[in-house]
Amino acid sequence: MDIILQSLVAVFNPMTFVLVVAGTLFGMICGALPGLSTSMAIILCLPFTYSMDPIAAIVLMVATYVGGACGGSISAILIKTPGTPEAVATTFDGYPMAQNGRAGEALGLAVTASAFGTIFSAFAMLVASPALAVAALSFQSAEYFGLGLIGLSCITSIGAKNQMKAVLSVLIGLMISTIGLDSINGVERFAFEQPFLLNGINYIAVMIGAFAIGEVYKNIEEFRHRDNTLRDEGKVSVKLMKFSEMAKMWATFVKASIIGTIIGIIPAAGGSIASLIAYGSEARDKNATPKFGEGNPRGIIAPEASNNACVGGSMVPTLVLGIPGSPVAAVIMAAFMIIGITPGPLLLRDQPIMLNAIFLTLIAAALLLFVGGRFVTSQFGHILRLPYPLLGTLIVTLGLVGAYSLKNSLYDVIIMFIFGLVGYLFDKFKYSSAAVILGLILGDLIENSLRKQIIIGDGSAAGFVTRPVALVILVVAILTFVWPSISKMMSKKKPVAA
Amino acid sequence: MAIELVFNIILGLCFAFYLFTATQLPATDNPIDILGAGGFPIIIGILGLIVLAMVTLKVVKDKHHVHIPMFDLKLPEGRMLVVNVILLAAYVALLDVLGFAVSTALYLFIAAASIGYRKWGRLVVFSLLTATVLVVVFGTVFYVPLPRGVEFLRELSYLIY
Repeated sequence: MDIILQSLVAVFNPMTFVLVVAGTLFGMICGALPGLSTSMAIILCLPFTYSMDPIAAIVLMVATYVGGACGGSISAILIKTPGTPEAVATTFDGYPMAQNGRAGEALGLAVTASAFGTIFSAFAMLVASPALAVAALSFQSAEYFGLGLIGLSCITSIGAKNQMKAVLSVLIGLMISTIGLDSINGVERFAFEQPFLLNGINYIAVMIGAFAIGEVYKNIEEFRHRDNTLRDEGKVSVKLMKFSEMAKMWATFVKASIIGTIIGIIPAAGGSIASLIAYGSEARDKNATPKFGEGNPRGIIAPEASNNACVGGSMVPTLVLGIPGSPVAAVIMAAFMIIGITPGPLLLRDQPIMLNAIFLTLIAAALLLFVGGRFVTSQFGHILRLPYPLLGTLIVTLGLVGAYSLKNSLYDVIIMFIFGLVGYLFDKFKYSSAAVILGLILGDLIENSLRKQIIIGDGSAAGFVTRPVALVILVVAILTFVWPSISKMMSKKKPVAA
Repeated sequence: MAIELVFNIILGLCFAFYLFTATQLPATDNPIDILGAGGFPIIIGILGLIVLAMVTLKVVKDKHHVHIPMFDLKLPEGRMLVVNVILLAAYVALLDVLGFAVSTALYLFIAAASIGYRKWGRLVVFSLLTATVLVVVFGTVFYVPLPRGVEFLRELSYLIY
């Protein structure tokens, strides 16, 4: 009881609470701006934390993390440019919904789902921290390989219009992911002695090109006859869901939050993988109306709830084991070290207030998302009322800054330019740019896990079937891939039987 | 259909080249790393060619007509699009010469005008204001080392970011 009171005082004293508000808003703004990721937002906060009390410093960074995880959805929904990698899957249904004149509703769904996911994972973190962290430690390469395949199975949903072209698109993404140094042997692959290719091709630059620039090209072509619903809607503001509407989709909220929390707990996985898996698990419903990819609300709830649930989940291994649960958590862990806190099993014993303080911050930041969402969105919405020649060129410029600021390199801008053309042609030939991104994001994880497991198995692939958890994950992944074909065959057979 | 076949042939050449390059990758010294650096790319290359062949067969079978305005310069929207692709290429190429601020302001002005915006006064304000805001936000507040250009433009940029 004493610890709980101390935690409440630590988080809700006026000065610390200001940090929660500032962190959440700052995170949302950085998340919404393409090119300024959540990690960058936390890094930018870092200099301010040097002179702070450790609890205040952690509170600021965790609030920024929550804000950033939600902020990416704003630009994903409004301009089809995910502000953060975690918001890639939000684009699939968020942007079509915005184009149908329901931008406010889409943003409301994103904010509500983000808040729900954060609160869910905060409780999960508090209750199950030690036990879940131990379970996640048993994950080896075979399990990661299975998780990667489950992530790829999203293509059966996002490329529903033409499955073969979606598979080919994902293979193109996997092909691009192999460019650069091989992370196991250090062999230079497909770099053709170009130093900028040694680190591989950054998927954010590809994403900005294929999604944002490709979309601008498409709109330039159609702009005389295009639908101006989104811009005619006037001020874009967050339209929050009613409780009764939320209750109808409770299963999506809960399922996505569970997926996000679990993936967050698994070391080194992260919000982008969580959101793709959660999206894939929802988008499997072929009878959904509207269809996934055409503005289904569940297509926004799933990725947003899961990527925010990843925040609390990723804090579990970070705090308890000193192993970051996500790339952003790795930055937070580095910040822990800088301010003199060593994450690990002793942290909860030496700093008993820490876990509760983080829990309370997560809850407070989740609730603040509703306020922050309204503020950031209303500012962001102003640009959408611009005439398209101005809006289109502004999107290109923002995309260019986003690509450039990844590594302060013009090569990423060139990649963005090339993939702008590729994205335009893919759209014309009905290939899936989203599937390319999926392959590019998961390619590294899949290849490395596959090879590492074979190396661990002394040259044998038996580990994939002898490890029970890996086997279950692989079976689920395979079923996910083949289920659409099986259900198609079954639905064809039914009338014959009748 | 013909244009999609050309596109598929280009994709096929990319996959074939990728597969060929993958087979040339050096073998691993580690005998238990069965796949080595080239194993996974070879799998992807072979799968890519198989799936591409299936897609191409379907394209030939369906005979769908695909219209791509970018390749039809008789249409005004086709010309507008090509001009914008060239403008973006020029913008990227000039970033290191003119610097971020100048090239962005120029790009915003010319590209918006090329898409059909004719309110010149507003366009000038929009171009200058957007370039300034971006320089202040990214260059000054977030310390992104934006391209500075050459000669006096470089010196000038140091006064701002």
